[in-house]
Amino acid sequence: MKRDHNHLQPNPDPSSLRGAPSTGKAKVWDEESAQQDCGMDELLAVLGYKVKTSDMAEVAQKLEQLEEVMCNVQDDGISHLASETVHYNPSDLSTWLESMLSELNPPSTFDPFGAAGTAAAALDDSFLVPAESSTLTTLDFDNINRKHQKSGQQIFEEASCSDYDLKAIPGKAIYSQKTQPQTHDSSSSSTPTNVKSEKRFKSTSGPPSPSDIFPPPPPPAAASYGIPTASTRPVVLVDSQENGIRLVHALMACAEAVQQNNLNLAEALVKQIGFLAISQAGAMRKVATYFAEALARRIYRFYPQNPLDHSFSDVLHMHFYETCPYLKFAHFTANQAILEAFEGKKRVHVIDFSMNQGMQWPALMQALALRVGGPPAFRLTGFGPPSHDNSDHLQEVGCKLAQFAKKIHVEFEYRGFVANSLADLDASMLDLRPSEVEAVAVNSVFELHKLLARPGAIDKVFSVVKQMKPELVTIVEQEANHNGPVFLDRFTESLHFYSTLFDSLEGSVSSQDKVMSEVYLGKQICNVVACEGVDRIERHESLTQWRNRLSTAGFSPVHLGSNAFKQASMLLALFAGGDGYGVEENNGCLMLGWHNRPLITTSAWKLTNKTTAISQ
Amino acid sequence: MARRNEVKLNECKMAVSLSTWVLISNFKLAYNLLRRPDGTFNRHLAEFLDRKVPANANPVDGVFSFDVLIDRGTSLLSRIYRPATAEEPQPNIAELEKPVTAEVVPVIIFFHGGSFAHSSANSATYDTLCRRLVSLCKAVVVSVNYRRAPENRYPCAYDDGWTALKWVNSRPWLQSQKDSKVHIYLAGDSSGGNIAHHVALRAIESGIDVLGNILLNPMFGGQERTESEKRLDGKYCVTLRDRDWYWRAYLPEGEDRDHPACNPFGPNGRSLEGIKFPKSLVVVAGLDLIQDWQLAYVEGLKKAGQEVKLLYMEQATIGFFLLPNSNHFHTVTDEITKFVSSDCIKTIGERIMQCIGALLCVDYVCLFKCFLG
Repeated sequence: MKRDHNHLQPNPDPSSLRGAPSTGKAKVWDEESAQQDCGMDELLAVLGYKVKTSDMAEVAQKLEQLEEVMCNVQDDGISHLASETVHYNPSDLSTWLESMLSELNPPSTFDPFGAAGTAAAALDDSFLVPAESSTLTTLDFDNINRKHQKSGQQIFEEASCSDYDLKAIPGKAIYSQKTQPQTHDSSSSSTPTNVKSEKRFKSTSGPPSPSDIFPPPPPPAAASYGIPTASTRPVVLVDSQENGIRLVHALMACAEAVQQNNLNLAEALVKQIGFLAISQAGAMRKVATYFAEALARRIYRFYPQNPLDHSFSDVLHMHFYETCPYLKFAHFTANQAILEAFEGKKRVHVIDFSMNQGMQWPALMQALALRVGGPPAFRLTGFGPPSHDNSDHLQEVGCKLAQFAKKIHVEFEYRGFVANSLADLDASMLDLRPSEVEAVAVNSVFELHKLLARPGAIDKVFSVVKQMKPELVTIVEQEANHNGPVFLDRFTESLHFYSTLFDSLEGSVSSQDKVMSEVYLGKQICNVVACEGVDRIERHESLTQWRNRLSTAGFSPVHLGSNAFKQASMLLALFAGGDGYGVEENNGCLMLGWHNRPLITTSAWKLTNKTTAISQ
Repeated sequence: MARRNEVKLNECKMAVSLSTWVLISNFKLAYNLLRRPDGTFNRHLAEFLDRKVPANANPVDGVFSFDVLIDRGTSLLSRIYRPATAEEPQPNIAELEKPVTAEVVPVIIFFHGGSFAHSSANSATYDTLCRRLVSLCKAVVVSVNYRRAPENRYPCAYDDGWTALKWVNSRPWLQSQKDSKVHIYLAGDSSGGNIAHHVALRAIESGIDVLGNILLNPMFGGQERTESEKRLDGKYCVTLRDRDWYWRAYLPEGEDRDHPACNPFGPNGRSLEGIKFPKSLVVVAGLDLIQDWQLAYVEGLKKAGQEVKLLYMEQATIGFFLLPNSNHFHTVTDEITKFVSSDCIKTIGERIMQCIGALLCVDYVCLFKCFLG
C-alpha cells in the first residue's frame, strides 16, 4: 500500500507529501504542467503509480503494444500472464509493462519450468523469473482448487511442504525425534562450535533515568534518519470506541501524566484503569491491563528484568508462532526471497540473526532439496543471546536441523554464535568463503530494531553485513513507529498497534496458545512503555524509516513478487480468523495486516555496490 | 485486426489526457488478466496489483482517515474520512470518533466502483477520491469495503451497504447539531452507483432518511443490446463482453440481466411511483457504452415523479473523475458540492431567517423554564 507519499520517489522528499489538491487551485488539466517531484507525474503518484512525466508517452506506447498483442493472441496465450508469470512491483508501471511484453514476445519459447537466467538477474527489478521453479511449492493452486475442490490444508500436504505440518514442541524436544549426542560424519554436518564473544557488553547499568525523552541516536554522517519523516498513522477501530472510550481516555491521560512527571495523578489514573478494564470484554481488556501494568512499572520504577529467562521466552515464542500467522508469514516470505536469490548456486550460506529455535529453516531446506537440479550444500550460522541455565540451546537447535538435513539429503553445516548483541559480531568470526564459491543470505526477523537502543550499533551491524557480501538480506520488522522521541506518541501508537494484534488473536482456537501469545506480546508492551535507554529494545520503526536507513547504509531493494504474495495469502487462510488477515504489496515489500492495518513487513535487500563492500 | 484496434486506441487516446488514458488503460489491462473465461476471478493477483493506501489519522491536506470494523461476521470494514478543523489541526488519535461540531454535517456513504469485482475502500484511487469529497463538501465520508463478486454474489454488496447505512445512522457522533440527526447521502461510481440505488430502496419505509443519491457512471444493464452498447463497444476501454462477465459474476447464477439488481426499471423492476425516494444526481459519461441504461434509469425516476438531475458529460469516458485534470471533473465536483449543501443554507436570506427562528425558539424555551421554575 501507499504510506506517506515519500516512498514513491527514489529520493524521499518530505515536502512532496500531498493528498488531494485543495479546491482553491486553478483548474489545471495539462499534466505536463503539473508539479513534478523528481520528475514523477504527481497525479498518478497519488493513485499509487510511479511514472516519470518524461516516460508517460513511452508507458502509453507499451500499453498499446500489450493491447495489440493481447488482441492477436488467443485467450490461453495470455492466461499464463495471470497464472504463471511472476509480477513485481506494479507501482513501477514502465518496468511492469516491459516485463509482460518480454514475456509475450516471443511466446513460442516460453518455458515456465525452465531455469532461465541467473540468480543475479533474478534480483534485477525488470527481470521476470519463471515462477514455478522458484516457489516453495510447485503446484498451481488455482487448478488444484478447481479440479479437486480440496481444502487448503490438504493441498499443502500434497505439496509436501512440511513447514505447515511442522509442529513445534516447546522446550528441549523441539522435534519429535529424541535428541542424542551424535558423532557427525562429514556428509551431514560439522561439529557446531559456539564462540562466546569476548566483547560482551556489560549488563544493565542501573535503572534508567526517569526522563521521558530519550535523545535520538546521533545521526551518521550521511543522513538524519534518526528522526522519522512525517509519518502515516494507520488506525483500525475493531470495537466501537463508545464502549471502551473511557478506558482509552484514562490510559491516555495516565500516559500524559507520566510524561509530565505528575506521578500522583498518574498513580490515581492507573488504579482507575484497572477498574475500567474489568468492565471490558476480550482484547480491549487484556491490552488495557498490559498497558496499565507497564505504566505502573514506569511510575513505581519497578522495571522488568531484562533479558528474560531463555527457556520461558522460547515457550512464549513457540506459542506465538503457532497461534497466529505473523512468524510463519515472516519465515515464509523471507524464505521465498532467499530461495530465489540462491537459484543456480551450488553452495549457500544463511546467516540468521534471529535463530531462536530455528523454525524458519526446515522449510527452506526442504525447498532446496526439491529444487530442480538438486540441493546446494547448505550452511547455516545462527546467532542468539546467551541462556541463563548455561545450556547450549544453539547447539541443540543445530543438532535437530542436522538430523533433518540428513533425512532430506541436504549437505549441512552449522555454527552457532552466542552474543548479547548483534553489534558484537565481526565478519572475521564467520569463516566466510569467497562469494563465487558460496552465496550468502543474511536473515533478520524482529531483531534489527533492538540495535537502535545503542548509538552506532545499527551502523556497525550494517557494515558487518556488507562485509559478508550477501546476495540477499531479508528483514522482517513490525510495521509501526514505536521509537519516536515523545513518550505519549509512542504510547498512543503502541496502544493502537497492540490492540490490533490482540484483536487478531481473539479468534484463535486454543486459549492456552492465546494466553501465551498475549504474555509474549505483553512483554513487548512493557518494554515499549516502561523502559528507557539501552533497556528499551522494542524500538519498532516503519518501513519508510527502514528504507531510509538501508538505502543510506548502501542497500537497494529486491522485490518480492506475486508468487510470494499469493502463497502468503493462502497461508493466511489456514488460520482461524483468516478473513481478517490480509497481505499487501508495497513497492516490492510484503505487509501482513489485520483488517487493513499493516502489522509486519518483509523486505529484501542487496548491496547497492558490491565492490565497495570491503572498504566499509 | 491490428488496424481496427489501432482505430479504437486512437479514438480513446484523443478523448482524454495522456495520464487519464494511461490510468484507465492500465486498469483495463490488469482487469483483462484477472477475469477468467470460466467465470472465476484471479483474486490473489487482483489484490497484488491493486495499489492500496493505509488509513491515516494524521491529516493530509486537511483530511484524516481511520478504518472501522462495522461488522465482524462479514469482516465489513469502512474507512471514515473527516476534515481536520482549525481548532484541532492534529486530532487526538484516541478521539477519532469525536462528535461533529457543525450545524449541518453531510455524511456521504460512498461505494467504490470496480464492477462489483475489483477495488477496495483502501484502493489508492478511491482513497484519493473520498478525500476530495471531504474537502469539497465539508462532509464526513464513509467508504464501505463491501464484499465483492464472484466470491460474493447478489445481494451481498447490498447487504453490506445496508449494514453500513444502519451503522452510520446510529452513530451519535455523526449527528448534526441542528437536529441531532445524521444527514446521510449515498454515493458511488460504477457498481457503487448501483449499490447506492439499491440501498436507498432498502431504506424506504425503514425510518432511515437518505437525503440524496449521487450516482457517477452507475452500473446498470439489461438483456437487450442498446444502441450505445453497439456503437461504443470496445472503443473506450470497456467492452460488452466484460460487462456481461461482471453481471454473470454478480447476479445469482442462472439469472439474466433483466434481474432488478441490474435493470431496476426493466421488466422485473419495481415502480417507485408514490414512494419517498431520495433526490438523485446522476452523472453519465458520453463515451460510456452503457449510457443508454443510465439514461433509462433517469427516465425511470422521472416517470415515477422522483426528483433527479442528470449531468450528461458528452466527451467524458469512464473514470474521468479519478483525475482532476479535465473540465468534466470540475463540473461534476461543483454539482456534487451544490447537491450536498442544498440541504444546508441556500441563500444568505434563508440563513438569516434560520438564525432568527433559532433565536426565537431559544427564547421560548427560556421563558417556559422561568415559568416552571
